[in-house]
Amino acid sequence: MVSLSTLFSQMVLGLVNGSLYALLSLGMAIIFGLLNVINFAHGAQYMMGAFAAYLLLNYAGLGYWPALVLAPLIVGVSGIVIERLLLRHLYQLDHLYGMVLTFGLTLILEGVFRFQFGSAGLPYAIPDALTGAVNLGFMYMPTYRAWVVAATIVICAATWFTIEKTHLGAYLRAATENPMLVQNFGINVPRMVMLTYGCGVALAALAGVMAAPVYQVSPHMGSNIIVVVFAVVVIGGMGSILGAIISGFALGVIEGMAKYFYPQGSVMAIFVIMIIVLLLKPAGLFGRIAAAHPSNFASQSSSIGALLTNRYLGAALLLLALVAPSFIYPLFLMKVFCLALFACAFALLAGHVGMLSFGHAAFFGSSAYICAYAAKTLGWPPELSILAGTAIAALIGLVFGWLSIRRQGIYFAMVTLALAQMIYFIALQADFTGGEDGIQAVPRGVLFGLFDLNDTYIMYYLVFAIFLIGFFIVQRTIRSPFGQILKGISQNEARMISLGYKTKHYKLLTFVLSAALAGLAGSTKALVIGLASLTDVHWAMSGEVLLMALIGGIGTMLGPVIGALIVVTVATYLAWLGAWVTVIQGITFVVCVMVFRIGVVGGLESLVARLVPRRSQAGTLGAPAPGSAIRLEGEQP
Amino acid sequence: MTLVETTLRQAPAAPASSNHLCVRGLQAWYGESHILHGMDFDVGQGEIITLLGRNGAGKSTTLKAIMGAIPRRSGSVVYQGADLIREAPYRIGRKGLAYCPEDRGIFASLNVTENLLLPPVVQAGGMSLEEIYGLFPNLFERRGSGGAKLSGGEQQMLAIGRILRTGARTLLLDEPTEGLAPVIVQQIAAAIHLLKNKGFTILLVEQNLGFACGVADRHYIVEYGRVVDAFTSDAIASNKPKIQAYLGV
Repeated sequence: MVSLSTLFSQMVLGLVNGSLYALLSLGMAIIFGLLNVINFAHGAQYMMGAFAAYLLLNYAGLGYWPALVLAPLIVGVSGIVIERLLLRHLYQLDHLYGMVLTFGLTLILEGVFRFQFGSAGLPYAIPDALTGAVNLGFMYMPTYRAWVVAATIVICAATWFTIEKTHLGAYLRAATENPMLVQNFGINVPRMVMLTYGCGVALAALAGVMAAPVYQVSPHMGSNIIVVVFAVVVIGGMGSILGAIISGFALGVIEGMAKYFYPQGSVMAIFVIMIIVLLLKPAGLFGRIAAAHPSNFASQSSSIGALLTNRYLGAALLLLALVAPSFIYPLFLMKVFCLALFACAFALLAGHVGMLSFGHAAFFGSSAYICAYAAKTLGWPPELSILAGTAIAALIGLVFGWLSIRRQGIYFAMVTLALAQMIYFIALQADFTGGEDGIQAVPRGVLFGLFDLNDTYIMYYLVFAIFLIGFFIVQRTIRSPFGQILKGISQNEARMISLGYKTKHYKLLTFVLSAALAGLAGSTKALVIGLASLTDVHWAMSGEVLLMALIGGIGTMLGPVIGALIVVTVATYLAWLGAWVTVIQGITFVVCVMVFRIGVVGGLESLVARLVPRRSQAGTLGAPAPGSAIRLEGEQP
Repeated sequence: MTLVETTLRQAPAAPASSNHLCVRGLQAWYGESHILHGMDFDVGQGEIITLLGRNGAGKSTTLKAIMGAIPRRSGSVVYQGADLIREAPYRIGRKGLAYCPEDRGIFASLNVTENLLLPPVVQAGGMSLEEIYGLFPNLFERRGSGGAKLSGGEQQMLAIGRILRTGARTLLLDEPTEGLAPVIVQQIAAAIHLLKNKGFTILLVEQNLGFACGVADRHYIVEYGRVVDAFTSDAIASNKPKIQAYLGV
């Protein structure tokens, strides 16, 4: 009987979590419906809601009930500012840019709050009226939890009614389908979009206020929940408001039950369900499969010239890399090369096939763990350790790729993020990974029994060789007929299918290749630093590799390398800034997405192409400029 | 250019109230593609005007450019004395211009009544829901149906009916007869005649010459984004070969 009441109280906690999931995925669904933006910042805005309540209490003396109204209002207004200043300018672009931008905003917001309030949780008391518990006969129901569930049900029902049954909701639904026509009828759609974003964000903040007394108020509360909400959204499907609400509640309860029956695996429950849903009904339980629209993410970010085709430049860079360790700190250079290879692997998928993975840390990190484990615990030689790490990454890539290529664009990004989170949880809980400590003091060993890698220079040239091999593989892939097919898939997958290509095979193969190279980078990094830790598998690492590729130029050959150089330099030499590094990274994301989508190398290449018009373009004349390819897709009305 | 200007001068002059809608030098672009190269034409108060021309000539684009639905446009569109070329699309809609797109633009997630009630009333004097149902009885029978479940003809009636409620007096109709059964085309023609008698001004894009002659006062021929010729309905018969040459493929 005791255990039964434990089950019930876990289910109640599950219902509370489900309420938060429902509110968050509801707000996300509304925003996505009208703006076509996956609001990555939703978690950060949830966190802001909780902080707003905390600050109102401690600095303005306003308690829970005023905060319930004021916090969503304040955060909603901040959302409106974000929409006006930033998001508005991205609606014409691929939806992925909105997601990347809001990811950058997440980094900024979290960094600022962490700097201001530290990482530890801050307490927020349950309001007096809602303390205590009600005896239901079979269990005690904490009043506050009952209130959260009841209030959420009322809010969700009201939102559903407003959207599905009122005149205002009809505007919203119509504008979701055809915004320009609704404007032609005389309705100010841009303002409506702005207010919708504000309302969606306000819902997130409301969830934050309600969560504050249940959980502590901390800068990380948003990033912990957002990945789960993504999984909920993938399970429910973005199509329907009702779907978002129901799947939010249901998954919360299921998670609560999993906590009772199998506590260690409870964090995985939702992700496992996501995998099952992906296998059985890829569109999600309530979703409709939208017609695959061609992604222009890859083509929008690629540039005209090809800087690296200049062989003098290539030779100069090679020479520079060979002599560099004599005047630059070798460990720094090795880090750069490891992350550059990681970024190249990522860009192969994102920049050339248009598949933006938000989960590449899974391959990088798991490979680092395996390599470190093999080298340290099993005592394997470095070459075998690296191979083992790479093989595991390829294997995980095969499974994740097989699952995630069922969806495209933003859904692909969300699925990869959720899958990678599973690896993070495994790394956190498994025995061999060392939990929070990671695997430390990994021996570098002796390569082939001949070269002692403890010699910094030998290690450097090994890392450089590994980088060159990886870089060469990526280049060969892109320039081969296989690469041409990938380009075709990125520009119009439906057309490639109609031409008889099994595009899924090509996507999966590229995914595995990208995962393996990311793993190669991770293993090498584990030997270089002598450490495999949770940082390597955390989603922030997936974000960091995206940042590298984006800064350098995601569709260029040399871009990811330059991007890695910039990011590692900033992280190394500005490390004393602490939490501000995250903020700087976030700002860089925002700037890149808003004004500099072709990246440093892309910018240089188009500059060179403009300055040296005839001669340098002669080599690339055969290939159509990216602009013309985009025009091919646009259906002329 | 001189040839065009001469033909235009020979063309029948618009009625005295020709300053109702004046389009001058209207240019429009889709991305990098230049579609309209300077459209010039007038629509007088209470007139029914058609734009005729081959596929891809720029007829639909002209309507969209007038409504502001194409971001990159230049020239001037003067409606009742005010230039609309710099206005936001939703402001143009509030000035009394109503647009019925080629794809009809019925919202699938709204039922027939919701679709009818969607466009806000911009001026007094619009038709009531009962009047619209009276004009198109089919719609009344399907009033609870989802927008995606209608036949092509019903969709077209809904698309036209929807903009009659708003009080807009100038209608821009893009190929209202496209792909419809002859009996439905007759119904649409009857409705347009009724609207003309009620004093509506209509700018019609048409491929169906017979239909166009039956309902319209004057016709502009559009080629490569320009108006190249103009005729009154009376002149159509005598210029048949010329028009066939304009429109033939």
